[in-house]
Amino acid sequence: MVGRSLRQIVWARLRRDKLAMFCLVVLVIYYMIGIFGPVIGPSLGLDPYAFDRAAISDRGGGPIGDFGGISAKHPLGVEWGTGRDILSQLLWGLRISLVVATSATLLTVTVGVIVGIIAGYARGWADMVIGRIMDLVLAFPFLLIILALSNVMTDRITDLGVPPGNPSRIAYLIIVISSFGWPYLARIVRGQVISLREREFVAAAIAMGSSRRRILFTEILPNLWAPLLVYTTLLLPAYVGTEAALSFLGVGVIPPDTTFGAMLANSVSYFRVVPTYLFIPGTILAILVVSFNLLGDALRDALDPRATH
Amino acid sequence: MLRSDAWLRRALAIGVTFGLIVAASGGGTPTQSPTGGASVPPGESAQPTEESKKGGTIYILTQAEEWDDIDPQRAYTGEDLAFFGGTIMRALTAYTYSEEAVTANTLTPDLATDTGTANATADEWSFTLRDGVTWEDGSDLVCEDVKYGVSRTFANDVITNGPTYAVQYLDIPSNPVTEGDDAVFLSAYYGPYNGTGQDLFDQAVVCDGNTITFHLNQPVADFNYTVTLGFSPVPDPTIHPDLPDAVDQYTLRPWSNGPYKIEEYTQGNGGHFLLTRNENWNAESDPIRPAYPDRWEVLFGIDPKVMDQRLMASQGEDAYAVMYGNVQPENLATVFVDPETPTPDFADRAVSDYDPYSRYYWIDTNKVSNVKHRQAMAAALDRDAIRANSGGDFAGALGDGVIKPNIGQDYAETGMWTGLLGQAIPDNGDPDYARQLIEESGEPMPALTWDYPQTPTRDQEAAIVVDSLGKAGIQVTANPIPPGQYYGIVFNDDQAHEFGWAGWGPDWPNASTVIAPLFTDKGGWNISRVHDQDFVDAVQDAIATLDRAEQAKKWQDLNKLAMERVYVIPTTFGLSQVLAGTKVKPIYQWAPWGSWPYAVMYVTP
Repeated sequence: MVGRSLRQIVWARLRRDKLAMFCLVVLVIYYMIGIFGPVIGPSLGLDPYAFDRAAISDRGGGPIGDFGGISAKHPLGVEWGTGRDILSQLLWGLRISLVVATSATLLTVTVGVIVGIIAGYARGWADMVIGRIMDLVLAFPFLLIILALSNVMTDRITDLGVPPGNPSRIAYLIIVISSFGWPYLARIVRGQVISLREREFVAAAIAMGSSRRRILFTEILPNLWAPLLVYTTLLLPAYVGTEAALSFLGVGVIPPDTTFGAMLANSVSYFRVVPTYLFIPGTILAILVVSFNLLGDALRDALDPRATH
Repeated sequence: MLRSDAWLRRALAIGVTFGLIVAASGGGTPTQSPTGGASVPPGESAQPTEESKKGGTIYILTQAEEWDDIDPQRAYTGEDLAFFGGTIMRALTAYTYSEEAVTANTLTPDLATDTGTANATADEWSFTLRDGVTWEDGSDLVCEDVKYGVSRTFANDVITNGPTYAVQYLDIPSNPVTEGDDAVFLSAYYGPYNGTGQDLFDQAVVCDGNTITFHLNQPVADFNYTVTLGFSPVPDPTIHPDLPDAVDQYTLRPWSNGPYKIEEYTQGNGGHFLLTRNENWNAESDPIRPAYPDRWEVLFGIDPKVMDQRLMASQGEDAYAVMYGNVQPENLATVFVDPETPTPDFADRAVSDYDPYSRYYWIDTNKVSNVKHRQAMAAALDRDAIRANSGGDFAGALGDGVIKPNIGQDYAETGMWTGLLGQAIPDNGDPDYARQLIEESGEPMPALTWDYPQTPTRDQEAAIVVDSLGKAGIQVTANPIPPGQYYGIVFNDDQAHEFGWAGWGPDWPNASTVIAPLFTDKGGWNISRVHDQDFVDAVQDAIATLDRAEQAKKWQDLNKLAMERVYVIPTTFGLSQVLAGTKVKPIYQWAPWGSWPYAVMYVTP
């Protein structure tokens, strides 16, 4: 009889959780749309940049028709003032949101894990220095810094050879979001490493004369993946939200491109008159974030059944 | 030092609206039948009597957190000038209170007994002061006070941001020093605080008893309009020891010579500015200010959306309030049936009228030096979408130049969109013709960046610019700039890009205050960085033309020439909408500053 690996056990537990599987499917669909939507969209007649003068009123630029101008041509309505198609904007905006959130998460996890392992294993002054640096980063009023530095930093990123305009701004978003997010992860990893460090298999590896590199990344790191996986699935939706918030505040992408946050910021003005304009991107964003969160919870339960209530 | 957003509001001041700073009247017809005010003939039924109009408080709601400047030599925002002029700050001449734009734009004597006397060559102007005008401590306002006020304009080290017509027109040589600390001064006279060159100033501005004479360096046919801007008196400290001049801090507490005085001024979100009656104001000395309410209270830091909701509801004190700003686009359909007619609920308290401003896109003529390239940009731009985005019919008419029809005789159609660029251009742009123009230019079109002060509406406008120029193969990147820093950045040669958003309105009804500041270095609004010598010469010639009709023709031709060379791309001749509470009258936009008619406003019971 072959014993099941932890991975197989977790997957089996997860598959029994219908809600988690539903969320997983939703997320796969979101990513598929994010990746392929802008590729196949134009052939379906979707264009986020096309103005539809006929869809908006001459008097104030409001959408013609109920629920923000919902019609066969514009299934989710049109943008106030320009008549741009909301559905197309969502498809294109989703891609940017996912790129930012996913990249920022990967960057955060990479930095957080490396720093956390080093701090946890090294102890002594290295641990202390890293700990103080993390405290310092956490103490920064990060939102203010992001807002204040956006133009300057975007220019610097452009100077480094990233194309100006949105590529630079997206790079800026990814860098700032992750540079203020890594200490949380690093602290968790450090705590795990401190307890793992005293375990027998690590002692055995040291006794056998393994290199420090091998101990850190071959012995300790594989034991971290459970908490990391959970943390990552919870970090992603938080970053989707952060990206939306920053776009809302005007740090995000510049026109004609758009993201959820930019659409929400725009829709707030018209909320009393055309509430659908706020609700549609808001709902799509909420589904994405909730799916990630539920999946993260389910994953935690699957990895650690004792915590299930 | 200048606060960051003061730049913006100065802009507003001089003309550039940012949408927050209100609107105006001018071209259009009044939006409803007269409901009161000084201009209504007696005998109409239900008219309040002069006596019943007296009393009460009028509230002003504004998004700003403080005034840009109340200093008489520094105030330059249209709405501010109208408010201060109507309450605390008199000038030699003033504009007439009337719903009719043409009447309102005519001068009326204020501190002076008439609207000024010029010599035959119009380079020497005299004004005689009225008797009985006093400062708020009861001391007489004398000729030296007017002279002292004008002299402060020259103190460029401390009096920043104001109109500089005194420096431009008075017969005093420009500052010979161009380097070092003293280079900040524009003129050889350094103002009353420094004192250098005082004799030059004393020769240019002469007080003889009650008569003040200005000696000018060139003929200025409408100098009596010029004195409405920055020529207001300030107590001469040598004559009024009790009314000291706080130099650059004077803007916090200027001394009043009007019917009200400043009781309280607190800045910031939730701050307020309270005016109460000036007991030493002599009604007989003031023919134009009936001064009906007992108090004026300005409430700072109110979000525009909240402002709309409060005024639409008009509950409690808000019934006595007017807005310093514009009705937000999303509420236009609630308040107005169409740009001429408010809905029944708002019939007597909403106004939609042409403001003084032309909106346009400046093009840096150094960076885009090929005129065919600029013409291609103009041809490709989807102006119809831009107008629809900023409110459609509520945003105004499509512009054809920088001179707006409600200025009067200086306007003529430029034909910019009907053949001036080689062929007629449809409102939504002609990308094919734009490509043709680029081909004719013989040079590849450079990649462009469009600067704009960021708001949600203008983010969408940026999308329109990027997309419509893109259809003609012109690559554009949008560059949003925080609104408070916008003009600081676009006037900086290193930070400005190829073209961007702007707006401008005349300082008085003469296109000399439009063409000269926009397309020459006089007046300081040359964002297009135009340095065409033939144009500068033609502007100088037009300013010196004393025959008004002939001068108007010259302005019309220069406006057309500027459009042919596409120094700017005109977008809309703006229309603005404002709202008041139910108990404030009269409701109309006063043409000169595109403002409420503050001096004649009153409350109903």
